[in-house]
Amino acid sequence: MLVSWEWLSQYVDLDMSPDELASRLSLSGLNHESTTMVGGDPIIDLEVTSNRGDCLGHIGVAREVAVLYGKKLKLPEIVLTEASTKASERIRLANEYIEGCPRYTARVIRGVKVGPSPDWLVRRLAAIGIKSVNNVVDITNFVMFECGQPLHAFDLAKIRDGQVVVRRANPKESFVAIDHKTYTLEASAIVIADSQRAIALGGVMGGENSEVSGASVDLLIESADFKPLLVRHTARSLRLQSPASYRFERRVDPAGIEWANRRCCQLIMEVAGGEVLAGMVDAGAESHPRTGVSLRNSQIKRVIGIEIPWDTSLGILQQLGCEIGSRSDVEAKLIPPTWRHDLTREADLIEEVARIYGYDKIPEDVAVPMTPSAKRDKDLLLDRVRGLANSIGLDEVLTPSVVTKALNDLASPWTALPSLQTSTPLLEGATYLRRSLIPSLLQVRLFNQSHALADVNMFETAVVYLPNNQPGGLPIEHFMMGILGSMEPRALRGLIEAILDRLTTIQAETREYESVEVSPGTGLAFVLDGKMFAWFGQLHRKIKDAWKVDADLMIGEINLDVVLQHFRSVPQLAVISPYPPIVRDLNLVVDEPLRWSRFAEVIREAAGPLLTKLSYLETYRDPKKDGPGKKRVLVSLALQSPTQTMTGEQADAIIADVVKASEKHLSAKLLA
Amino acid sequence: MSLQAFLAELDSLAADAEKVFAEVDTTASLEDARVIFAGAKNGRIKNVQKLMGELAAADRPLGGKRFNEVRTTVQSALDAAAARLGADDKPKSQGPLFDPTLPGMPPSFGHLHPITQTMEHLKEIMGRLGFTVTEGPEVEDIWHNFVALNIPDDHPARDPLDNFYLATAAKSAQTDAFLLRSQTSTVQIRSMEKTQPPLRIISLGRVYRPDEADATHFPMFHQMEGLWVDRNVTMAQLKSVLRLFATNYLGGDVHIRFRPSFFPFTEPSVEVDFLWGDNWIEFGGAGMVDPNVLNAVGYDPEVYTGFAFGLGVERLCMRRFGITDIRDLFRNDVRFLRQF
Repeated sequence: MLVSWEWLSQYVDLDMSPDELASRLSLSGLNHESTTMVGGDPIIDLEVTSNRGDCLGHIGVAREVAVLYGKKLKLPEIVLTEASTKASERIRLANEYIEGCPRYTARVIRGVKVGPSPDWLVRRLAAIGIKSVNNVVDITNFVMFECGQPLHAFDLAKIRDGQVVVRRANPKESFVAIDHKTYTLEASAIVIADSQRAIALGGVMGGENSEVSGASVDLLIESADFKPLLVRHTARSLRLQSPASYRFERRVDPAGIEWANRRCCQLIMEVAGGEVLAGMVDAGAESHPRTGVSLRNSQIKRVIGIEIPWDTSLGILQQLGCEIGSRSDVEAKLIPPTWRHDLTREADLIEEVARIYGYDKIPEDVAVPMTPSAKRDKDLLLDRVRGLANSIGLDEVLTPSVVTKALNDLASPWTALPSLQTSTPLLEGATYLRRSLIPSLLQVRLFNQSHALADVNMFETAVVYLPNNQPGGLPIEHFMMGILGSMEPRALRGLIEAILDRLTTIQAETREYESVEVSPGTGLAFVLDGKMFAWFGQLHRKIKDAWKVDADLMIGEINLDVVLQHFRSVPQLAVISPYPPIVRDLNLVVDEPLRWSRFAEVIREAAGPLLTKLSYLETYRDPKKDGPGKKRVLVSLALQSPTQTMTGEQADAIIADVVKASEKHLSAKLLA
Repeated sequence: MSLQAFLAELDSLAADAEKVFAEVDTTASLEDARVIFAGAKNGRIKNVQKLMGELAAADRPLGGKRFNEVRTTVQSALDAAAARLGADDKPKSQGPLFDPTLPGMPPSFGHLHPITQTMEHLKEIMGRLGFTVTEGPEVEDIWHNFVALNIPDDHPARDPLDNFYLATAAKSAQTDAFLLRSQTSTVQIRSMEKTQPPLRIISLGRVYRPDEADATHFPMFHQMEGLWVDRNVTMAQLKSVLRLFATNYLGGDVHIRFRPSFFPFTEPSVEVDFLWGDNWIEFGGAGMVDPNVLNAVGYDPEVYTGFAFGLGVERLCMRRFGITDIRDLFRNDVRFLRQF
């Protein structure tokens, strides 16, 4: 809201400096944006919150100033000499849309001379950035910026049959506004029509067909109340936001409608001549009776934290326009003014008292009682998980939760159901709530690749959204860690295992993982109680080729909700065996297709419970020595008894069993 | 004692010492051997020296000469062993020396995202002030995102153009739709529904609003929301808690300013500024929990009062790390990420 210093001083004496006033207003509710000089007149830009529609006119701002500085508000006096002819003889009004237009008033002025505005009017409007149109339109604007009530002047000659109807828009009704554009109206739009056609869009814009022009002689002046939500909807959907719609959206003073109409007619006659017909055509409810609001003195201190003298509190409310219905030393009943729609409860009155009394009087150093608060397990876990990921060189990334269809289709490890979608895209084309973090991570990899940044390995911890089978239930959100990078495949598995071994009590089973995002045979799932909670694999070759990824990527996800359920925040000591282990390495030649999982299974079964650790060391291939289709696998076995020192003979016997079993089940051959 | 026997004793001592010192392979066994041979009190050299008194006077010059030779032999064997084991300070290896002026080998550690670092910092500070971290879902229902927060049906904040409603056919935006939460205040409601006062919590997380992405806006961002409900919680406490927060976060002596504002879920509502040095820094919004909100979760506003505050994490993060474009936070260019 732009406020002209000169204009404002019509309604309240301004003996402070513009800077001082602006800062005072900032601290009492009208936030100061900036001050500029227009032709020597300081123009103060104030931000008006949506609950303070009353401050969208100079009088409203003047009222705040008067309260803050203890000054008198000077309202313009309206003297309106009416002709003997009644307005109701000239026009008929029907309000068929009370839900959209609670009140519609119209006055008639005849015999005006439309022309240029006088200098004072041009100057007032120019100061706040409004271009002069003609003396009639300028006055309607002037009154709107004076008191906050939008007005509209129609050329009465163009209103057919002198009939004004307030109604809903007809299906697919089209309307040409004064900007000469044609709009198709939605059914909820408020239409002002004559006997045949729409002549204005209530609260939003006038129509081309009834616009005041140099040829206009008789006028209809509209001052009405239109429903905020409907005005907002129409203005927004047609992109027709205007100072008028802005004010209706924030509610006008129902008791100020008549005043504004009279004020408008008075000023039009002053600048354009003519005479106003007697009376006002009025359709709709008179303003509602105001109900009193109780305020208890004790509640002010209870909320604000400081004592404010009761007389001071009530004085502030009175200056703001509240009437005191009754009062005692502890309680008062106040009737808020009609322009303050935001004052309906005790809490609202307390805020008024506090902001005018001054928030600066509230201390900033009162005692704050202590209370225990510990770091959550989830935060402890996340610290550790992120630390482990960082320690192997993964950078943490943060990506949008909603992705494009192309990305979304790449991976869905956690659900077979289609993704949830937003009705408007988050970013271009992105309407799919992600079911996996992998597509987003791939996008990050590709972004970096396009900037010639290679070896970008990363992780993200964030929620994925899975559709809920239960009707009416919120989507299921799982907190995931996603990992993607051109790392050594075992490094990714190593990270998952480190998280599980170091931070949880989970003894996971593993199984093959086949899915669209991983190349066949490269995926592994970690399973607990029959359900997968982590997986990894190599990004499917088809995806790699289609998206032109410059390297083979390892990808994987861990459901951190499951990890958290089994989080071991405080490890417990396991007894360290006093009996030393015996470590034996075996170099076995096996068939190429043999997988470690099977190999290890045979070794473990043969070695029995004294095998405390089986380590994979390396694989190498030497077709010349071992023949084609063979590989050498070097493993290390740690044998240890919990009850005695193991002898070399015992170890030899176990190793012999292992070798025998490997030969039998795996056709392995021991290398010396 | 005969000279013969004395010299034999010396020879055996020398032979033993040379053998033992040649074989020692640790500094500990070297020390053991030193004590045996050259120990000041009971070493074999000391003991042989004592025997010299038993020699005939005429034999003493020869015995003494030989004794000195053997003592030197033992000492050289000891020195040689010590040198071999590196017990002295002199470099022994003849290979190329390590050049300590070479640059260090950079460990390949990853980096935490600056938003994570900021959020952890905020949790840390608020934790010290007694606020416990809570969280709630990112996809919310109308009740938690609007109704319980005193945002009525006809409130502009519910406009489909201002929210990311989920595109589920059978649901209407006014009553039972789901949406990506537009504020973390939803978590306040969920916490209050589950817990009786007193309650001192913060919630941090992602929120979503349809803003065109530019240097200062992104349709997804992070908020921190704080809530304290108890008997006798006042605006003075709100101011004091925020001052403690700001003093911790910014360092130095910080003062707090409230400017009146408007939020549906607080009354009074204020914008909070920090005076840090000579500058007023915008912190975020705050206020006393609206009685309608307390009623919505079944708290009696006649018994309990509370305050709430909320702030954008990105703004704090950007100020802290000197970041000027919010979009950089979500592009994840590694040249950006690896600076933090």
